[in-house]
Amino acid sequence: MTEPVDIVIRTFLFIAILFLITKIVGKKQISEITFFEYVSGITIGSIAAEVIMGLERNISYGVVSILIFGLVSVFVDFTSLKSKKFRDIVEGSGTVFIKDGKIQEDNLKRERFSTDELASLLRKQNVFKAADVEFAVLETTGDLSVLLKKENRPLTPKDLQLVVANEKEPQTIIMDGKINNDAMSQAGKTREWLDTELAKLGATIENVFFGQIDSYGELTVDLYDDQIKVPSPQQRPLLNAMLKKCHADLELFALETDSESAKKMYAKNAKRMNEAIQKLQPYLN
Amino acid sequence: MTIAANVNQCVATIKGIEAQLSILALNSEEESAQRAFHEVMGEMEKIRNELQNRVTQIELEEPQYKNS
Repeated sequence: MTEPVDIVIRTFLFIAILFLITKIVGKKQISEITFFEYVSGITIGSIAAEVIMGLERNISYGVVSILIFGLVSVFVDFTSLKSKKFRDIVEGSGTVFIKDGKIQEDNLKRERFSTDELASLLRKQNVFKAADVEFAVLETTGDLSVLLKKENRPLTPKDLQLVVANEKEPQTIIMDGKINNDAMSQAGKTREWLDTELAKLGATIENVFFGQIDSYGELTVDLYDDQIKVPSPQQRPLLNAMLKKCHADLELFALETDSESAKKMYAKNAKRMNEAIQKLQPYLN
Repeated sequence: MTIAANVNQCVATIKGIEAQLSILALNSEEESAQRAFHEVMGEMEKIRNELQNRVTQIELEEPQYKNS
């Protein structure tokens, strides 16, 4: 066998083996969260390169050592699932860099991080002022996780004591003009439903590049032709407007009528309508 | 437009609202949203019934406005 042919064969073989091993070890290997994954990732790569190019070496040696690395990775993963002690040894634990808003100089020294490096890590988290930080940990990956002080955190509806509706994940039901049947059944929608919704928007499936439904069953689409304007879903804003109109009507009736009992009835129902509007507020916006 | 016609129009709008709510309740994935839509649907029905009664009453009192 000539050398170039040998190299081609080896390359394809190792692409397959590496693909297989990373598939087996899983996403953890790719994210390189622990020391062990970092080390095994580098080593597997080097072994593969070495064996592909080093023609004087036997392929089987490389295959065996890569397999061993893969198997040990899987074994370590499973053992660390079971034992916290083992996990601490293999994966290590984070180091607290900032606690109660104060930088922990000793921990910084232990991890051999300079103040510049700490500042750079903080900046990566969009923190430019160390005084804004309540708590920060150096993760085993070398990333810094930062908890800002409460007043520096982004405002959430909870802070404003707003009631907001929970939303389920949108389902992508049309991609490149083709229906994704899995997503359709996930959303509990049928082909007929989709046809009527598309007709409402004045589009056909072939024209749609990307289409999603939200948790209210509203369809939003992006068309191939960007010149065409697609109406945005109007159902809920329209309903809100109708409710408000009815509320105003009822109040008007209450003012107009001369009958005392009718006045009371209208006022009561106007109040009811207002309560309904309040109740639906989170869902209609 | 007489008052009876106005109230009738309002009844029709409420009917429309009920239909919309029903569609939304059916299409929503989120359970709390479904529940809210259903509850408000019940409220709307109560309001509609009372208005309907009022229309009948008006028409009895003032038959000249009937079918106007």
